[in-house]
This record gives sequence, C-alpha cells and structure tokens, in this order.
Amino acid sequence: MSHGPSATGGAALKTGGHGHHEKHVPVFVGETEKRLQELLTRYPTKQAALLPALWMLQEARGWVSEEGMAEVATVLGLTPAYVKGVVTFYTMYHQHPVGKHFIQVCTTSPCHVCGAEDVVKAFLEQTGCGELGVTSADGKYTVIEVECLGACGFATPVMVNSDFLESITPATVADVLKRYG
Amino acid sequence: MGYPHKPHPRETQVLSTHFGTADARTAEGWKQRGGYKALQNALGMDPLAIQQVVKDSGLRGRGGAGFPTGLKWSFMKQGDGKPHYLCCNADESEPGTFKDREIMRWTPHALIEGCAIGAYAIGAETAYIYIRGEFTEPLDVMERAVAEARAAGIIGKNAMGSGKTVDVWVHKGAGAYICGEETALMNSLEGKRGNPRIKPPFPAVAGLFGMPTTINNVETLTAVPHILNNGADWYKKMSRPDNPKSTGTKLWSVCGNITRPGNYEVEMGFPFGEFLQDLCGGAPNGRKIKAVIPGGSSVPIITWEEAESAVMDYEGMVAAGTMLGSAGCIVIDEAQSMPRQIARLARFYAHESCAQCTQCREGTAWTTKILERICAGDGTAEDLDTLLSIADNMTGKTICVLSDSCATPVVSGLQRWRHEFEALITRKTVHAVPAVVA
Amino acid sequence: MTAPRVNLTIEGRPVSVAPGTNLIEAAKQAGVLIPHYCYHPGLPVAGVCRMCLVEVEKFPKLAPACATAVAEGQVVHVHSEKAREARKGVLEMLLINHPLDCPICDQSGECELQDYTYQEGRADSRYREPKRFNPVEDFGGDVLYVPNRCILCTRCVRFMDDVAHDNVLNVSERGDRAFIGKFEGKDLTHEWAANVVDLCPVGALLSKDFLNKARAWELDRTASVCTGCSQGCNIIVETRDNVVMRYRPRSNEQVNDFFMCDHGRMSYRGLNRRDRIDVPSILGGKGYDAVDWDVALDGAARVLKGKRAYVVASPNLSNESLHLLSRLIKKTGGVGTFRIETGHEAPLPGVKDLSLRADRAANGTGAELMGFTRSNTPFAGIAAGDALIIADAEVKPEDLAAIGQASAVIVLSTSMPAGVTRAAVVLPVSTHAEEEGTFTNLRGRVQRFLQAKAAPGMARPTWFAVSDLLGALGESAQYFMASEVFASLAASNAGFAGLSYDTVGLRGLPIAGEPAGAGR
Repeated sequence: MSHGPSATGGAALKTGGHGHHEKHVPVFVGETEKRLQELLTRYPTKQAALLPALWMLQEARGWVSEEGMAEVATVLGLTPAYVKGVVTFYTMYHQHPVGKHFIQVCTTSPCHVCGAEDVVKAFLEQTGCGELGVTSADGKYTVIEVECLGACGFATPVMVNSDFLESITPATVADVLKRYG
Repeated sequence: MGYPHKPHPRETQVLSTHFGTADARTAEGWKQRGGYKALQNALGMDPLAIQQVVKDSGLRGRGGAGFPTGLKWSFMKQGDGKPHYLCCNADESEPGTFKDREIMRWTPHALIEGCAIGAYAIGAETAYIYIRGEFTEPLDVMERAVAEARAAGIIGKNAMGSGKTVDVWVHKGAGAYICGEETALMNSLEGKRGNPRIKPPFPAVAGLFGMPTTINNVETLTAVPHILNNGADWYKKMSRPDNPKSTGTKLWSVCGNITRPGNYEVEMGFPFGEFLQDLCGGAPNGRKIKAVIPGGSSVPIITWEEAESAVMDYEGMVAAGTMLGSAGCIVIDEAQSMPRQIARLARFYAHESCAQCTQCREGTAWTTKILERICAGDGTAEDLDTLLSIADNMTGKTICVLSDSCATPVVSGLQRWRHEFEALITRKTVHAVPAVVA
Repeated sequence: MTAPRVNLTIEGRPVSVAPGTNLIEAAKQAGVLIPHYCYHPGLPVAGVCRMCLVEVEKFPKLAPACATAVAEGQVVHVHSEKAREARKGVLEMLLINHPLDCPICDQSGECELQDYTYQEGRADSRYREPKRFNPVEDFGGDVLYVPNRCILCTRCVRFMDDVAHDNVLNVSERGDRAFIGKFEGKDLTHEWAANVVDLCPVGALLSKDFLNKARAWELDRTASVCTGCSQGCNIIVETRDNVVMRYRPRSNEQVNDFFMCDHGRMSYRGLNRRDRIDVPSILGGKGYDAVDWDVALDGAARVLKGKRAYVVASPNLSNESLHLLSRLIKKTGGVGTFRIETGHEAPLPGVKDLSLRADRAANGTGAELMGFTRSNTPFAGIAAGDALIIADAEVKPEDLAAIGQASAVIVLSTSMPAGVTRAAVVLPVSTHAEEEGTFTNLRGRVQRFLQAKAAPGMARPTWFAVSDLLGALGESAQYFMASEVFASLAASNAGFAGLSYDTVGLRGLPIAGEPAGAGR
C-alpha cells in the first residue's frame, strides 16, 4: 500500500527496481535451524523468538521478503499476516532490498542541533544516492535518516550496516565511504 | 570531564569508574575490580532482605519515572508458584540519553551482576536484557559477557555454586522508541508489535508472558551491586541534606550545543548551572545557552535562567519546572530556532507513535505538520492556539505517555519562546539555518 | 444465595451490576450510552480509540470506560465538561484524515463516527494540512477495505484473531502511516469473515454484495431468524421497497452472540426469487387455471377426500405451519416426511457452540417434534392412492418417479417444484420473511421471526392455507394469527407446553427438557 501525505513518511524506503522476485530459498535449515532451536529454549513461547528469527532471516538474505515472512510464520506457528504486522512495526527490518552498504544517519534533535542534516546531505551527494531511501545506481549504498541512535553525545552517529560510527561530520563522510567501498 | 573525556574532579564515580577500561569488560577483569562479590553474597541472602537494603538506599528508577526500586520489587508476590521474570530495559531510545550504552559497552558484567541480584530478589529465575537493535556494539559486548558469565558458572542453573537458578539472556530489539515503555517492551519481547498495554494489570501481577514481572533500567540495576557492597547508608548519603528523596549518583548524558558532550556521574543534588558551565564547558564558540531539556526529550524545555539555578535531583528538576527523566540533557544555544527544534522533536514522536491511541497517532502527526508549516513560513495566527489545544487533547488521555511527550515540548516551548513562533508567522520568513557547530 | 453486586452512580443514576463489569456495560444498564469505537462486547478490550473517556470522581485522570471496572460507590460522569471536551478532541483527531465522503459512503446513516460527530463533535475542522490517502483494497471474501475512512479501532483484527482464530488481518506500519493490512494471497475467506463489516464502526470495511445498493435510512428492519442452517442465528432482515437487501446478525448470547456466517448472510438472496407462485390455481383441461382461494381450497379438499395425505414438508416451514400440517396428516391417517440438504460444518471457534451446521435448514428439529420423519428419499414412501402434498419441499429429478405413484398432487409452495407438471391444485404461500412464526433450532430453542415484507400476489402463510384446508375438511381450525396457531401447538405438544409468543419474545426459549441453549 502506498502512502499519501504523512507527517513522517520521509524515512520509508522507496521500492526500487531491485531483483526481489527471486525465488525464496528457505533460511531455517541446517545451522540456522539449529540456532533457532537453541533460541527457542530461552523463552516459554515460540512467538517470543519472532524478532530474533526475523533478524536471522535478514542476516541471511539482506532483507525481509514476503516469502521470508511466510517461512518465519510457518517455523514459529504464526500466520504470515501476523508476522507482517510485526515486521512493519519495527524500522530495522528492510522490507525491500537495500544497497550493499546501508547507511543510517541520526537526525533527531540532539544531532539536528549539531548539524546532522549536513551529514545526510554529504552522504547523499557522495554516495550518488541523491535521495533518501534510494539505492545508488551501482547498488553500493542506501542512505536513510534514522531517529535517535542513542549516542547523542557523539553527534552525528552513523550506522553503516551493523557498524556504529561516532562523531561523523560532513568533512569525515568521504573517509567513511572510503572504508565501505 | 565525563566520559569520553577524563573524569572531572567534581564527579563522583561509581558506575562510571571503569568506563574506557577495556579489561573491565571480562568476567575476570570484573572480579579483580570487586565484581560479583555482591552477587555471591546476595545469593546467600533472603530475597526480602535484599529488597530491604535497596528500599533503605532510596534508589529510584533511572529510566525516567523515578519509581522507588525496592518498593517496585516488593510488589512481586513471593512464592505464588508462578514463574517470575526480570526485564532489564536497555532500549535506551530517549533522545539525549546515552548512558546505558556506555554501561553496557564498558561494564557488561556490572549489568549482569545487577540483573542476577535483581532477579533473585524478586523470585525470578530468568532475566531478559532487552537491548535496542541499533546498539550493535553494546549488543555484541553484552552477548559475549553473558556467554562468559554462563560458562564461568556465574549465572545459570547453579549460579556461583549457590544451588540457585538465575539465568540472563540478551534480547535484541528492532527499531522502535516505544519499546522503551515497559509494557511495550514486554509485548516486543513476546514477539508482538511494541504496543503499550493498558494498566491495570500492572507488570507485577501480569507482565511478561502474563507472569509477574519487574522491569528495571540498566543504570538502576547496575547500581544495586554497589549498594549491597557498600550499604544503604553509603548510598543514601549521596544526596542533598534537605532532600532524602533523591539518593545516590546519577549518570547524566549531555549533548547538543555543549563544549564537552558526554556522560557525567554526579551525586544527587549537584547544582545544574555549575554542572553545565564548569563540567560541560557551556555552549561552544562563545555562544550562550538558550534552552535546556534536562531529562530526555520528553520533559519540559526550560530556559537557561531556569536551568542555572536548578538542582540535579528528582525534586530539584520538578521545582525548576521540568523533570529529571532519564537525565539525557539536550542543550540548545542561542543560534538555534526554537520552533525548528520543537518541530524536529514532534517529528520524532510522530515517527515513533505506535498507532494505537487516536490522540497520539493523529495528534503527533498533526502537530508536526503545523510546526513544519510554521517553520516553512506558512504559519497562521490561529496555529499557535490550535497547537496548544491539540497538545491539551494529547495530554493525560492515552495508554502511555508518548502522546504527552510530544505535547510537552510544544507547551513548554510556546510558554517560553512564543515570540519566536510569532516572528515566523508574522514575518513569514524562514528561520536561517544556523551554521554547523564544529 | 444472591450473587454479589456492585453499586455505583452513572450520570446521577444509581445502578447495581455484577463485579468486574466495565463502565460501558454498567452505563448501558443505567440507560446511558458512553460513546465508543474500539470496544465491542464480543471482542477483547483494546482501549485504543480513547472515545469512551469518562470522568470518575477521585480519579486523577479521565478513565477509559471500556477498560475500567466498576467499584463500589463509584460516581461516574459521562457528560461532564471535561469528558465531553476529551471526546470532542478524539472526534476531531479521527476526522482530520477522514474524507468527508458521507454522501457516497455505504456506512452513512449507520456510522458511529457520523453519529457521535453530530452528537458531540466540532462543527468545523481546524485541519489545514493535506489528508492522508491510501487506495481501496479488496480483502477477499465479501469485504472491501477503504483505508481513508479507517479509524484503526482494530475490531476487525481482533475478530479475526480472537474469535475466528484465523489471523489474516493485522495493523501494519505505525504512527499516522498505520493501516489494516493483510498478507498477499491470504484473503478474508474464513466462513465468518463478513462479520468484520458489521463490526466496523465506520465505512472502512464494506460488503461487496451490498456495495452502493441502498442507503441505510431507506431500509426497513425486521427481527428474524436465519434459515441458512439449524443454528438459528438471530438476524435482522433489511428490506427496501419490499426487496430484501441484506441480513445482519442480531445479538443473542444464547445462540449466535453477535455474529452470523457468510453462508447464512448470503441466503437472503433466495427471498428475492422472481419465479414465485402468486396465485392459486387448479389444473384444468388446458393447463392451470388461476382461481381464487376458496375455489382452490375446495379443490384441494376434494382431492384429499378419502385419501391418505402424504406430506413432504420443507424443513424451513414454521412450527406453526408444521403443526397444522401434522393435524392434517393425523386427520387423514397420512404420513409426513422432510429432507434436509447437508454441507460441511464451519464453527466460529471463539464462541461456544456456534457453527454453520451441517443441516442447512432452520427447522428440522421442529419438523421432527411435529412427527415428520427425516429422510433422504422423502417421496419414496408414497403408496398408490395417496394424495401428495408438497409443502414447499424441494423436488429433485430422482424424486419424480416416486411422485408419479401418488394419485394426486397438491403443491403448497413459494415456487413451482421442478419437474412437477400435473399438480391438481397449486396454492401460493409466503416465505419466512413474509410471515410471522417460529423455528426450533438444533438445540431445541424456539425462536420467533416477524414479517419483513409483503408476500407476492395472493400468497398466504402456509399455516393460514392449511388452517383453511382443515376447515374445508370439516375440522374446526379457525386461526387468524400465527400466535393462535402457536397456542394450539403449545396446548397439544408437550415440548411446547407453557410457551407463548409473549414468553418466547425475540430472544427465544428452549422447549421443555432442553438446557438454556448455545452461545457463550
């Protein structure tokens, strides 16, 4: 479903022409299945393993596809609609494929007052993404704004994939991109 | 100066003593620094006796609400035959707050020890540490520390040889501010949307998995071993002589337009003006501080004049017209436009509203749209009254306080800086974007 | 021993209710409506719309009435300034992104957003921003989703999850981007799914079957009972200009709680058949001759004289009709049979003993109580010389040979049974929507239905026609009202002893020896 004017729709990922019609290959087999089974022992319900299972799915495939959600639903005895409701609640599950390097720049108030928007601008320009949520033509980068990363004293914090970088300024953006080529 | 700088002499380091010391991250290193002694002792104590020490210490929740920790623990009915749970709230997402992150990064075993003692004190055999998904490094450090503690027999079926079961698990969030609300956190941990629950029932009656549950903040739990080691009196003494209601040390995260941002640990009752000027170095580039949000973005914004004379404890902040909250202090200097800052805060809440309650779902977004329109130079004379009226509709009427938190900066901001909004509306000019503060 | 009660005051009215009752239900008992959206007595409490905020004395904040249990001595103000202002605020918030499309919305006229806005909302809107827009989505089954009108009350999600146990709906996204979502390829195909349309307090979930067919205020509503199966769900028949437009469930916690299945819901279509018999007729030399009732009844009496009446009855005939038919059978030393079409069972798991039953007819139990024999070959026992009365029973091709055995056929039906070409007399009768009567459901609950529309032409209730026929045969059976027939039934059939239309009311009563019935 597309969204009309919304106060905060800006951070949402744009659907791109990515090859996300590939056939889904089951994730919960072999080692991953074993890890999930181990995880299930920590909780009294299967459902409690939903967030971890979705993380495992994203780790394996880079994003959370509908087919992936359906697999998680089957594995945990839930309905796919339920899983989708949960997936769409949390911002960290990618519902579309993203660039090789997923760059999240914090722009919430404490970073905002320290000029986080200029950091975003620098990333958008230097990655060639041009626009938030759009993957660069070379498939390398996707840049989004993210709400408070919880490192406000280190403005501006930036996450590249699962790496947490502190105190990024427009001047250091080029260095960051060099590290994530 | 607080972490990441060297400690300032006026700080009182308890929780932050080992920030920046890599060796303190290991179980062995932690033991060498006096760690796990409190847990060893606690496991030999009557849980009610532990609760009493914590009650006597005056420790209050460090997550924002400031509820007395020992009292909270005493709500857990001992011996009711049900599984009890301890949840450690490590979803630190309140803008301006980044203290729990440092506790977990540098002293993971301190938190594990606090969790284990807390769990034992409330009759729980399982504790979950719910860490926000964006905290990749703290997650990594905590996961390793928990595995290490389990392998070393510190936690598990026979914790420290006591014959008691105390298990601790790390659970990773996935991006939702609201999961820092205790019942939303429980829903999230159960594999649901992070929707806050209606209370009652309260968590101590029906919490995680429908069972009696206590939920404590990272900093709260980390303080517990120190209290057990040094006694309630030691902790209680760290307070204003005339205010026994706020005790101990408090970690303050300071950020925004401030010369030395970071975490500072001071005793309750520290003078706020001196803190901001002397310890944190005031606003950078010779500018003046215009506004301070002392307790994370959800508390009222106060002026520098109000902040200067404030006292840093729960009651002191209330007296100054705001709240201690999570002690995530956001400093805004004179170069900033208050309407722009308040609009940005509103946008945060609109993005994070869980969508359950009408006033919050619609009100946060509406507030944001009006504020952003004003900032864009399209404001009208009626907008400010409309904003206040919406804020009123959003306050005290919803399941949780996210809605109130969005209204708070609007109301406190309009009370103090209405002229800035009016200037934007009447001149129809967009406030100049301030130069980036290096 | 009396059950404990809690005494409180709501809007100045003292009320005494069971402990644990919430304030909305307590207020209902005091005759006070607390406006609400997400609360529904058939669903778990969500407490999210915040519309039911009321002022409770000594509470620091306004309380959501749905999630607040009564307490002894509580004093509740529903229409205080503070409570009204809060609800006005909620209404304004619900409307900022809601289109002003009442003129083209099916819900208009029965919309709770419309009603409460008229009642206590603002006269103007202060919203100056662009409205949210999302496209209409087909949810499958009979359901259409119009997200722009959705107020996210989540009744539909909770129904599918907690009552239907088929969690195909969700709340997707969050904040003002949230909407009711489903999973691609997993539709609202559950056999009770259309209840979400009734549950939706606004025009966000619509029936495709009813779409743009009628305005709510044009409809006449009549209490009735569904004939889709033997459950006997209580319903409302809604008609416009003598055409049945739809069925909706009528709440009865003893039978169907608040719900009805999709099969039953769509069974209204049979009532709008165009091939109705609307005039009595007699077979003459050149085919059927239309005659008036007296002539037709005389003809029927002549056919029956000295013969055994072999009656094949529809299991959707009323107790009243079956009772008089059974008297006719007794008088002629005849036989009564009936056949019930069967199908799969489709329970609604969240409600005890509520299911689309295998028996797809309303009154098999009544027929049996009246001495009719159930058979899959109901015509097979016809002996040469029998006069066959087809009392609205369905005739299948395989029945025709047996029908040929009868010496004469009387058709007493709503439409001409297929393949029956040489009936001596044809008497037009009404459907259950065109008459008053009772059915007995599978648990032995006797339930009344009322007349919702006029019968076509000269068609009469079956009991009325049979009563006249009995009279033509010399029996004293002068009944002018269905209630009189029911009284005769109660006097002669032990199962119905003590029951009357007055005592049965619109919620039904079990026949003697049966427990209270199905439902929660």
